[in-house]
Amino acid sequence: MTLSKERIGALFFLFISIAYGYFASEIKLFPGDELDPMTAQTLPYVLSGMGIIFSLFLLISGDHKEFGSGFTHLNWKPVIALMLLTLFYGLSLDWLGFLISTTVFLIAGFRILGEKRIKVLLLVAVPFVFIFWFGLTQLLDIYLAPGRIFGS
Amino acid sequence: MLDGIITGLQTALLPTNLMMVVLGCFVGTFIGMLPGLGPVSAIALMIPITYGIDPASGIILMAGVYYGAIFGGSTSSILINAPGCSGTVVTAFDGYPLAAKGQAGKALALAAYASFSGGTISAIFLLLAAPTLAKVSLSFQSADYFALMVLGLSAVAAFSGKGQVVKALIMTVFGLMLSTVGTDRATGVERFTFGSIDLLDGISFLLLAMATFALAEAMMSVLERVDEGAETQDMTKLGSMKLSKEEIREVAPTVARSSVLGFLVGVLPGAGATIAAFLAYGVDRNLAKGAKKDEFGTGSLRGLAAPEAANNAASSGSFVPLLTLGIPGSGTTAIMLGALISYGIQPGPRLFVDHPEVFWSVIISMYVGNVVLLILNLPLIPYISRLLIIPKPILVPMILLFSITGVYLVSFNSMDILIMAGICALAIFLRLLTFPMAPLLLGFILGGMMEDNLRRALLINDDSLSFLWERPITLTIMSITLLILVAPLFQKAIKRFFHIESNAESLTID
Repeated sequence: MTLSKERIGALFFLFISIAYGYFASEIKLFPGDELDPMTAQTLPYVLSGMGIIFSLFLLISGDHKEFGSGFTHLNWKPVIALMLLTLFYGLSLDWLGFLISTTVFLIAGFRILGEKRIKVLLLVAVPFVFIFWFGLTQLLDIYLAPGRIFGS
Repeated sequence: MLDGIITGLQTALLPTNLMMVVLGCFVGTFIGMLPGLGPVSAIALMIPITYGIDPASGIILMAGVYYGAIFGGSTSSILINAPGCSGTVVTAFDGYPLAAKGQAGKALALAAYASFSGGTISAIFLLLAAPTLAKVSLSFQSADYFALMVLGLSAVAAFSGKGQVVKALIMTVFGLMLSTVGTDRATGVERFTFGSIDLLDGISFLLLAMATFALAEAMMSVLERVDEGAETQDMTKLGSMKLSKEEIREVAPTVARSSVLGFLVGVLPGAGATIAAFLAYGVDRNLAKGAKKDEFGTGSLRGLAAPEAANNAASSGSFVPLLTLGIPGSGTTAIMLGALISYGIQPGPRLFVDHPEVFWSVIISMYVGNVVLLILNLPLIPYISRLLIIPKPILVPMILLFSITGVYLVSFNSMDILIMAGICALAIFLRLLTFPMAPLLLGFILGGMMEDNLRRALLINDDSLSFLWERPITLTIMSITLLILVAPLFQKAIKRFFHIESNAESLTID
């Protein structure tokens, strides 16, 4: 049995559906709930069952094409770097504050995608972030907490 | 109805709302032109902005973005053969050859006129159909709504193209699964929260939409190295935008036919602009005779006008089930439904009664949107397309930033950014495995309502599922659901049995 794209997806969802079904059984019910025709567990059980049936169906009926070169021809490096940058942004926002972390995010993002000229990096990122910040805090009156490292 | 139209006019023609339409059309055109980013992303990016304004203006803005995005998609289809969204894939079949012949201006103008006519005709239909349908749907009960939602979800899967039906069904179920995360609305029990406070309220709809569409589409454009085309610079040289009388006479019947067809397809749950465009193109090619038929695919004016009129008509048509039944028929209307719900407005038959200003102003502003596209966007295309010269290394991080801050500025919870990154990684993985994303969003948005309606229907019906076959309306809807679900499965089995190869392209639904 060849592992085609569809079958990988089918296996993934089969796993998800089984795990979902297992966790559905852990949903706490109130005493007497089991007498109701529909409890908080009912829909999750149905969905888990449907998920399992559909994934099995896809696993069996899915196309037989060999996976081929897989995903190696894709441009993975910058995407992984951007994902990590997003995580970093999420973690740094509370600590460094909006202005610094957003500027770092943009400069690093431009750099990852191949913009090397430092002048361009700074001249685009800094004014953009400042205008964005000014618009949010001054025009729209949105409070943006300063970074924790600056104390409050 | 006249009162309604006047209310709609009063709201839609307010200076702020007119500004919203214009702004929406511009932003939509720009985002729609970017290859890889479709209308769902464009609307998702707009939602955080709409939270600050009143619901009518918000939905008007989103409707403007929707048209703009489809129009922008056509523009990039015609000019660089890179459809901005799936609804405009067909536009490239004849639009790009026309542009290659040096008639880009004419192709763009024709696309705009056809879109305008399609939009106008279907706006009139919408004006007539929506209130009537809303009145009828007032008699619908929970059981019928439950059945309708099942129909909507199944239809999206069934219409999702060759070999995609089971995948779309799986994605729908996955969306429904995600919708059960959080506190159960009826009993107050926690489900799948794993003790996390951030998940008590469930997964935010905006977060899911941004992560699976805007963020993931921007990342995908980097991953797949979408070529923006060396011809981008040439966009400013378009040639004449004039159409001769004979040409107008040639395409007029096509536009009329395709508009009606587009509207009808748009109204069907699950079948959106993409299917409408493919269908209209196919119908017109079959109707064409002799040399005209051979022209299709090499720069036929009719081949360009048909999908353009149809996709715009379908966009308006898809508002019918949204506004009257509260059931979105596509990813795009699903995201609008999500936004409306977060304003505290429940679309459906009550919308017509409770918020007539929203109901009517959307319909009126659709028309205004079409006018704006024709008289403002068309002449400005050379200038808007200059924005595409912004290099990708600058553009992509900006889109990422807008999607992330769009979510963050609503919740002010930096945990959301981390969840977004996780969901985005999953969405990229699923996109690479060619699983469609729209059914996920649709399932997620309809999940809660579906469970509520089923629960209510069971309560009313003494805990028995018999309402599914005892109520004539419910039975009819369920039968249609069964039919459309079973049909493609059998089709596949028959084709496999007889080894029939089909060359039909797989479609994705916006």
